[in-house]
Amino acid sequence: MRRLTLGASALAIAATLGGGVAFADEDDVTAWRLFVSDHAEPVVKVIDALDGDLLDTFKVEGPATLHRTSSGAAVFAVQGGAGEVNAIKSGIAFHDHGDHGDIDIDDAELLHVPIDGSKPAHFVEVQGNIAQWFDGEDEVRVFTEKAVLEDKLDVRTANVGAPHHGVAVPYQNHVVVSIPNPEDASKRPIGARVVDFEGNTVGEDVACPGLHGSAGSGSLYALACDTGLLLIKQEGGAPTIEHLPYASSLPEGSSSTLIGGKGLQYFIGNYGADRIVIVDPSEGENGFQLVQLPTRRVHFTVDPIRSRFAYVITEDGQLHKVDVLDGKIAQSLKVTDPYSMDGHWSDPRPRVAVAGENVIVTDPLNAKLHLVNAETFAEAGEIAVEGKPFNIVAVGGSGKVHDDDGEEAHAHSHEHAHSHGDDQIYKGYFEDSQIKDRALSDWEGDWQSVYPYLQDGTLDPVMAHKAESGEQTAEEYKAYYEVGYKTDVERITIDGDIVTFFKDGKPLKARYASDGHEILTYEKGNRGVRFIFKKVEGDADTPEYFQFSDHKIAPAKADHYHLYWGDDRAALLKEVTNWPTYYPSSLNAKEIVEEMMAH
Amino acid sequence: MTMMKLTRFGASLIAVLFAAFVLPARAETEKLSVVATFSIIGDFARVVGGDRIELRTLVGPDSDAHVYAPKPADAIALARADVVLVNGLLFEGFLQRLVEASGTSAAIVTLTDGADIVHDPDGGHYHYVNGEAIFHAAPNDPHAWQSVSNAKVYVENIARAFCTADAEGCPAYEANAAVYLDELTALGDEIRRAVDAIPEDRRVAVVAHNAFRYFERDYGVTFLAPQGVSTESEASAADVASLIREIREKRAAAVFAENISDARLVEQIASEAGLTLGGTLYSDALSPVDGPASTYVDLMRHNVSTLGAAITGN
Repeated sequence: MRRLTLGASALAIAATLGGGVAFADEDDVTAWRLFVSDHAEPVVKVIDALDGDLLDTFKVEGPATLHRTSSGAAVFAVQGGAGEVNAIKSGIAFHDHGDHGDIDIDDAELLHVPIDGSKPAHFVEVQGNIAQWFDGEDEVRVFTEKAVLEDKLDVRTANVGAPHHGVAVPYQNHVVVSIPNPEDASKRPIGARVVDFEGNTVGEDVACPGLHGSAGSGSLYALACDTGLLLIKQEGGAPTIEHLPYASSLPEGSSSTLIGGKGLQYFIGNYGADRIVIVDPSEGENGFQLVQLPTRRVHFTVDPIRSRFAYVITEDGQLHKVDVLDGKIAQSLKVTDPYSMDGHWSDPRPRVAVAGENVIVTDPLNAKLHLVNAETFAEAGEIAVEGKPFNIVAVGGSGKVHDDDGEEAHAHSHEHAHSHGDDQIYKGYFEDSQIKDRALSDWEGDWQSVYPYLQDGTLDPVMAHKAESGEQTAEEYKAYYEVGYKTDVERITIDGDIVTFFKDGKPLKARYASDGHEILTYEKGNRGVRFIFKKVEGDADTPEYFQFSDHKIAPAKADHYHLYWGDDRAALLKEVTNWPTYYPSSLNAKEIVEEMMAH
Repeated sequence: MTMMKLTRFGASLIAVLFAAFVLPARAETEKLSVVATFSIIGDFARVVGGDRIELRTLVGPDSDAHVYAPKPADAIALARADVVLVNGLLFEGFLQRLVEASGTSAAIVTLTDGADIVHDPDGGHYHYVNGEAIFHAAPNDPHAWQSVSNAKVYVENIARAFCTADAEGCPAYEANAAVYLDELTALGDEIRRAVDAIPEDRRVAVVAHNAFRYFERDYGVTFLAPQGVSTESEASAADVASLIREIREKRAAAVFAENISDARLVEQIASEAGLTLGGTLYSDALSPVDGPASTYVDLMRHNVSTLGAAITGN
C-alpha cells in the first residue's frame, strides 16, 4: 500500500490545527483505480493504479468516453456511436465525517442500468444530479447518482427545444440547458436558459454564442461561449446565470473546452489550438491568465490533490505541469511519441488523469499508460494495457476504514463502526498481502457468550440505541441478533493450544492448531477474513474446526469475537447468519452493554 | 506627503503625526499583510490591527466556511501574507489544501489555542452508511466565538501574533486589544443580563445546525438541533422526528433560522412542532455592512435580543 506524500506545509498545518487530521494518521488506507476505455474495442478496463493490476474488464456496446462523478462512486461510459450509456460502480466510496474521512472499497461493478438513446454526448454531474445529453433528442435526461448506484434509474426529462449538440447542467428542481440555433440546430447553440421539469422557463435567456464546453468547480458551473464564460450558481431556489466576458487584454479567441479546479475555484479553457486560459471568476476582468503552449494541445486535466497545478499534453508528446497561480508552465516532460492534431478529431491520442501521486497519460498507439510523478515530474513507471487505451478517469484517495466483516453489516456494523485507530481493519478491502496468519494466543482468555444477555433483556437498551439511529425497530434488531447470537456454548476458555467449550455447564476440551485463513467475499461485495483452527486431539464432542471472525486481519488481541464451529470446514464458510459472539468473562452485564453502546 | 497637505487637512494632522511617530519604519505600502479565514475573526483582526494591517477575509458575510471553495486569488493572498489567522478545530475544511497550494511561509495562527473548548466525545453529527444512521464524532466544537470569554482569547492571540510579526506596532496592537477586551467584558455582562430576563424554564431554542453550544454553556440557553456541527451533514427524517419529541418534552419556545444556511429545514421543523420562526441567528458569519450583525459585538447583541424577543414575545 502506498500513501500520498505530504508536503511539509501540510504537516505543519496538521500540527497547527491540533486536530486529528485524517491523512496524518497511521491507519489511513489509500486506493486509486483507473478506468480506461479503448479507442476501438467496446470495453472499460479497471486497473489498480498503485500496482498496475487489471482488476476487471467490462464489456459495453461501443468505444466509450468516460466520466466520473464528483463523489467518485460512479463512472459513466458514454458510447456515442453505439447509442448507449453504461454506469459502473467504481467500488470506491468516501464518507466525510468532518474530523476524518472514511473510505469504502469494494469490487467495481457494471450496473444494470443501461441508458440508450440517440447520440449520447455531454455528461454533466453536479452534486449527485446527472444530466445525460443526447444530440439526437429534444429532451435531456436527468437522474441521480444515488439511484444509479442502487441499480435504479429514475429519469426526469427537460425540454431542450430541438435536437442539437448542446449541454445541460442539472440541479434539484431545475436544469440549465443550451438554446439551439434557431436557424440551424446543427450549428453551435446560441445561449442558455433555466428550465424546470414541467416545461417552464425560469428567468431570461442568456446569450452564449457558440456555446461548447462546460466544467464545474466548487459551487460554480461554467459554460464556454465565443464571448466569455457563463457562470451558473445556485443559492437557494433556481440557479442563476451570469456572463463573464473574456478580459479585454486577451487576444482574439475563445474557449470551447473547459476543465474546473478542485480545491481551488478556477477554470481552464483552450484558447486557440496552442494556448490555454486560466480563469479565476472571483477576480472578474483581472482573473484571466493566458498560457502559451509549445505546440497544439491534445488534452488537459486538473490536479485534484495538488490544487495549484493542472496538466496539459501537447502534440509533441510533452506533458506540461501548469502552475495555476503563476499562470506559467512549471515543468515539461516528454512522455509519448508525437501525436499530431492533424487528422480527425477523434483519432486515438493521449488522455491525462491524476491518480494519487502520479499523473497518468494514455498512449493508445503503444498500448500502455505512462505514470509521471506529480511532484518530481519524472517518469514513475508504465502500465501495459492491451489494445488502444484511450479515455481515462481515476477514482480514489485516502481515508479511514472501519472494521466490519460484512456478514453482519446490515445491523451489526454499528457496533464496530468506531473502533478505528486500534488496528488496521477495514470493511471489505485489503490487499491479500496484508493478511497475516494469527496464533490462537490472539484469542487467549476466558470468554462468555452474550446470548444470555440478549435473552434476559440486558441488551434491550443496545437494541433501542440501534433503533434510534438505525432503520429497524428495536424488536427487529432483537430478532436479528437472536438468530446471530444463538448458541448453547455459554463459555469458552483458550489457554495455549487448549480450547474448552462449556456446553450447558459441561466442559469439552481439545487441542487445536492453525489451519490458515479464508477470505470471504460477501453478497454485498465486501470481504472478511476467517481464521481457522483444526482439532489435533481431544474430546469427541468438540468440533473438528472453528473459525474466528473478529474484524481483524493480522495478529492483534481480540476484544470480542464471533465464532463458527463444526466438522465441515467448507460448510462453515457459508454460515453467515448465526455468529455466536463472545466477550471477556471479566466483563459484567453492564460493562458489555456499555461496550456495545460505545461503538 | 507635503507640509502643504498636512496643514490643509488640519483635522487629520494629529493622526498622521501620531502614526508617523509610532511606525517610522513602515511606509504605507509595508502594512502587515493579514489573511483571516472568515468574517468574525476578520472583524477581530480589523479592531486589533487598525490601519497598520492590510486585511483580506476569505469567507465573507453570510457565507458558510463549511462549503467555501477557495479561489486562486486567496492562495496568492496567502502566499503574500505575513500572518494567517485561522479558527482551527477543523472549522476551515478548505484550509489545508489552500495552504499547500499557496506554498505560504506565513505564520498560521490558530485562534482557539488556549480557548475553553467544548470537548464532547458524543459531539458530532449523523452519517448514513448503507441506510444505517451512524453517529460521527466531532469531539471539539469549533464554534468557540459564541462564547465572549473565548472571543477574548482570540483577540489576545491576534495581538500576540501581530506583535511577533511587527514588533514596532506592538504597542498599538496591545492598546487596541486592551480597549476592545474591555468592550467584550461589558458585552458578556450585557448578554448575561439579557438572558436573565428570560424566564428560566423558557430558555430553550431550536436551530438547524448546532453552532451555539458555547452560548448554551456560558449563558444558559439550551439549543436543540437535529444535527451536529457540520452543515454538510443532512438531518434524516428520523432525527427530525426525535427532535420534535424533544421540542415538546422541553417545551422549546421558538425555532430560529441561521444566516449561513437556507431555512427549509427549520421551516419544516417549525411546522411539524407547531412553532413559528423566531428570526435569524448569526452563527458562523457576520452580516453584510448594512445588516444587523456586521461586527462581532453587534452579532452577539443581535442574537441575544432575537432570542429574547422570540421567546418572551416582546
